[in-house]
Amino acid sequence: MTPKAPTPLRPVGPRWAKRLLRWLHPEGTLEEVEGDLDELYAYWHHRSGKTQATLRYLLNVVSVLPPFVRRRKRKEEYLPTHNLTTAMIRNYFKIAFRNLIHSRAFSLINIFGLTLGITCSLLVFLVIYHETSYDKYHKNADRIYRVETVNNTDADAHPGTYTELGDVLKDAPEFETVVPVWNEGGRGLSIPATGDFFKERIFFVDPDIFQLLDYQWIAGDARSALSQPGQVVLTESYAKKFFGTTNALGKTIHYDNKQDLQVAGVLKDYPLNTNFPFDVLVSLATLKRVNSDYDSHGWTGFGDNYQIYTLLKPGFRPGQLEKRFHDIQVKYQQDPKTVENQRFILNPLSEIHYAYNLSGRQANARLLDILAVIGAFVLLIACINFINLTTAQALKRAKAIGIRKAVGSSRLSLIYQFLTEAGLVTFLATVTSVLLAGIVLPSIAGMMGLPLKAEDLFTWQTGAFLLGLMGLATLLAGVYPAFRLSGMSSLWALKSNRLPQGERSISLRKGLVVLQFTVSMVLVSCALLVNRQLSFFQNADIGFNKNAIITVGLPENNPEKLHLFRTQLMESSQIKDLTYSFNSASAESNWMQGIQYRENADIREVKTQMKMGDSHFLDTYGIQLLAGENLRDTDTLSASSKVLANEVFLQRAGISSPEAAIGQKVYFGDGSQFATIAGVVKNFHVNSLHQKIDPTLIQVVPRHFYQAGIKLKSEKPTTETIHTALALIEKSWKKTFPNQVFEYKFLDDTLAQAYQNETRTAQLIETSTLIAILIACLGLFGLATFAAEQRTKEIGVRKVLGASVTSIIALLTRDFLKLVFLAGLLASPIAWYAMSQWLQSFEFKIEISGWIFTLTILLMAGIALLTVSYQAIKAALMNPVKSLRSE
Amino acid sequence: MARTNLGEFEETILLMVAILDGEGYGVTISQALEEHTGRVVTFGTVHNTLIRLEEKGFVRSELGGATNERGGRRKRMFQITAYGSRTLREAQQLREELWRLVPPNALKLGGI
Repeated sequence: MTPKAPTPLRPVGPRWAKRLLRWLHPEGTLEEVEGDLDELYAYWHHRSGKTQATLRYLLNVVSVLPPFVRRRKRKEEYLPTHNLTTAMIRNYFKIAFRNLIHSRAFSLINIFGLTLGITCSLLVFLVIYHETSYDKYHKNADRIYRVETVNNTDADAHPGTYTELGDVLKDAPEFETVVPVWNEGGRGLSIPATGDFFKERIFFVDPDIFQLLDYQWIAGDARSALSQPGQVVLTESYAKKFFGTTNALGKTIHYDNKQDLQVAGVLKDYPLNTNFPFDVLVSLATLKRVNSDYDSHGWTGFGDNYQIYTLLKPGFRPGQLEKRFHDIQVKYQQDPKTVENQRFILNPLSEIHYAYNLSGRQANARLLDILAVIGAFVLLIACINFINLTTAQALKRAKAIGIRKAVGSSRLSLIYQFLTEAGLVTFLATVTSVLLAGIVLPSIAGMMGLPLKAEDLFTWQTGAFLLGLMGLATLLAGVYPAFRLSGMSSLWALKSNRLPQGERSISLRKGLVVLQFTVSMVLVSCALLVNRQLSFFQNADIGFNKNAIITVGLPENNPEKLHLFRTQLMESSQIKDLTYSFNSASAESNWMQGIQYRENADIREVKTQMKMGDSHFLDTYGIQLLAGENLRDTDTLSASSKVLANEVFLQRAGISSPEAAIGQKVYFGDGSQFATIAGVVKNFHVNSLHQKIDPTLIQVVPRHFYQAGIKLKSEKPTTETIHTALALIEKSWKKTFPNQVFEYKFLDDTLAQAYQNETRTAQLIETSTLIAILIACLGLFGLATFAAEQRTKEIGVRKVLGASVTSIIALLTRDFLKLVFLAGLLASPIAWYAMSQWLQSFEFKIEISGWIFTLTILLMAGIALLTVSYQAIKAALMNPVKSLRSE
Repeated sequence: MARTNLGEFEETILLMVAILDGEGYGVTISQALEEHTGRVVTFGTVHNTLIRLEEKGFVRSELGGATNERGGRRKRMFQITAYGSRTLREAQQLREELWRLVPPNALKLGGI
C-alpha cells in the first residue's frame, strides 16, 4: 500500500478507541496524551498508511490505559493556582476600590465606624502605654525599691518611714545605695540678684540620688554636688526660671529667708514619665539648718514626706530581707508592741506609679483596666458593623461572586479578595484615625490629666501597635465575610437572590446586632449610674458648708503675724469669718493619733483624727455644736487643754450622749497628757466620701496652724465679689508676709479634686458610650437600609393591596426594636453586676435602682427607632409603581 | 560513588529530552527515539517514563499552548532540570572512567 497524500482533513484514529481512552485514561493527563496520540496517528498515517496507523494507534492507546499507564501524582495534575502574584494582588485592589466606590454609603459607614473604633483603641493604647512607661528608663530600674512602713493591723502601707532607718540601712550588706528623700512642699525661694521670689517644692537628698536615678548633667559634678550643706542642684528649666540662664553654677538662692543655697549643678530636664519630678534638689545636710523640727534620728513617728529609696545589690530579692528588717526593728524600735504592729517592706519602682508617689499623679490600675475593656469593646462593635454590613451587602454581590466561582475562581482567591477589601477599609480608617486622634488627643490628655502630646502618635511603638491593630481589625472584620461569602454555592448565587441560604447569616447578623446593643446599653447604664454617684458626691450633706470658702496656705504661724492678718481681713465687709487651722474641715492629708479614753479601769484606744483649729473653726465651716461650748483661743495645749469631739468619737469611746461627754478626759499617746472634752460637734465628713467618718477631735494648737480658711459674706458670691475679696486678701497678705508668694484655692474645688478619679471615669464612660451608640446606630442604619432595599417589592405589593404607611413602618422597625429589647434584657444584669462591683469601693454610695435599666432600654429603643425610621419611612412612602416596575 | 536512580531506558529518554532542548513532548520524543536508536516502543512506555523522570526530578514539564493540529489540546513540554543534566553527565563520566579501566586486550575476541 502506497502512503496516501495527507488529506486536508486531519486523519483521526477510530472513534471507539478514543472513547475508550477518554473513559479509562486518568483525567489529569488525558488532554496531553490524546493530543500526542492524535499527532502520532497523523504521522503514522502519513508514513505507513491507515491500517498500520490504526493498528499502532490501538496498541498505543492500550499502552496508556490502566493498568499500564502511570498516574501523574495529584499535586502535579493541575498547576498550582497563584493567587498572590503581583498581577492578582493588583487585581484584588482594583476590584476592592471599585466595590468601595460602587457602594459609597456603605463604605463610608464602614470606614467611619472603624475610624471611631480604631481611634478609641489608639487613644487607649497611648494612655496605657504612657502610664506603664514610668521610670522604666533608669539603668537600674529593676533593682530600685522604696522602703515602706506597713501597719499590720489594717495592712496599710505608708510610703514614708522613720528618719534614722536611712542611716541604719546604709550599714546593711544587701543595699548598694540608700537614698533618703525629704519632701518639703511650697517653700519660699528668693533670688538675691534679681529680687524675684518663688514658691517651690523642695527635695532634700544625698548625692547618692545620682547613683540611683539616671540624670544627665549640664553643669556640675555628680560626686561633689549636694555633699555639703547649702548646696542646691536645679534642672535646666528651673535654672532658666530663676536666673534666666542655664549657666547658674555658683549663683545664690535664698531659702525661706533662713539659708543661702549655692547652685552646685544643673541637670537636664527629666522626662515626663517619671515619679521623681525633682526640680530643686537641696543637700540633705541642709535640712537641719532650715527645719528645726527635723530629727535625723527619729524612731517615734514618721510622715509621708520622708521616704527612703534604695538600690538592692544584684541578686537580692526583697523577700529575702524580712529577717534583716525584723532585726532592725528589734534593735531600734525596741517597744515589742510596735515591733509586732509594724513591718517594713520594699516596694519595687515599677509599682510606685500606681500608689502614692512624689509626682502628685498616680495611675489608677483599675481605670486602666476599664479603659482597655472599653477600647476593646468599641473596636469590637466597629468590627461587628463591618461584618454585618459586608455580609448584608454581599447578597447584592452574590451574582458577581457566583460568576467568579462558576468560571473557576478558586475559593482562596475570593477569600483574598474579601480580605483585601477589609484591609483597604481598615487602612483608610487607620489613616483617618491617626488624624482624628491627633485632633482629640489634647482634650483627652486634659481629661485624664496626662502629659500626652501629638508626638506620641509617631513613635515606633504606636506604629507597631497600629500595624497590629490593622491586622487584627482586618481579620476580625474580614475573615467571617470572606469565608462565608466565598463558601456560597455558585448555583444558589446565580439562581436568585431570594435569600434561601441567607437565613443563617441573617440570624447571625441579628445576634451581632444584639451583642452591639448589649455593649452599648451596658455602657449607657454605667454612665447613668456613675453620674448619679458623682452628683451624689457633689450634693451630699457633708456636715459642713464648703461654699464660699477660700483657703490660703500659711508660710509661718507666728501668732503676731496671724493676728495682724486677721484684723486686717475682718475689717472688710466682704469677709464673714476667718479660721486658722492645720487643714480644712475635710482634707486629703490628715493627722491620725491614738487617743485613750478611760472609764474607770477600762481603757479604750481610739484611732482619732486630730483637727487643729482655732475658736473660729466651727463658725467658718458651719459645723454644728451639739452640746457643751466652743473652744477659746486660749485653750492651747497645756494642762488645761480642751477639745471638741465628734459623735463618732463618742460612739467609739463608748460615751452614751453628747451631754455625758462634756468634762470627760481623753489621753494622748502614752497617756501622760490629757485634754477635757469641752463640747461635742455633729458629724461632718473629715475625709472624702470614699471613706467612713473618722473619730475626730478638734483642738487649739497654734504651732500647727498651716492654713487660713476665709469665709465670704455672701453664700453665692458673684465673680465680682470674689474678685474684690481676693484683692483684699492679697493686699493684707503682702503686708503681713512680704516676700511670700500668695496662693489661694476654693474649698469646693479642692474637695471636688477628691472625686477626680470618678469624674474621669464618668467622662470616659460617657465619651465611649457616645461613640459606641454612634457606631451601633451606624450599623443599624446600614442594616435598615439593606432591609428596606431587600423588601422594596414586598412593600410595593403591600401598598398596592392597601397597607397603610404606618403599618409598613411598623413592619420594618418591629424587627429591630425586638433586637434592642433583647439586648436590654441581656445588658441590665451585666451592668448591674459591673456597677455593684464599682460601687463597693465607696463608703457612701447610691442604691442601684431598676428604673435606670428601664430608662436605658427606652432610651436605646428611641435611638434605634430614630435610626431605623428614616429608612422605614422612605421605603413606606415610595411609590409602588416605581418599586414594582423594575425587574 | 553515589548511586543514581536512573535506569537505562530512562537515561535514553532523558537524553532525548536534552537533545530536543525545550521542544520535547510525547510525540517528538517518541519520534526522536525511533530515529536515533531505532527502538520502537509504545507511547505508553514513553509517557510513563516521562512521568517517572519528572517524579524523580530529572525533568520538569508544563502545559504548553494549544495548537490546531491537535484539535486544540495542549502539549506537555518537557525540559531537563539541572539535577537531570548533572545526573546524565555523571553517568557519562562514570562510563568513560570504566572504559579507561578496561585492559586493552580484554574486549578482543579470543584467538583472533
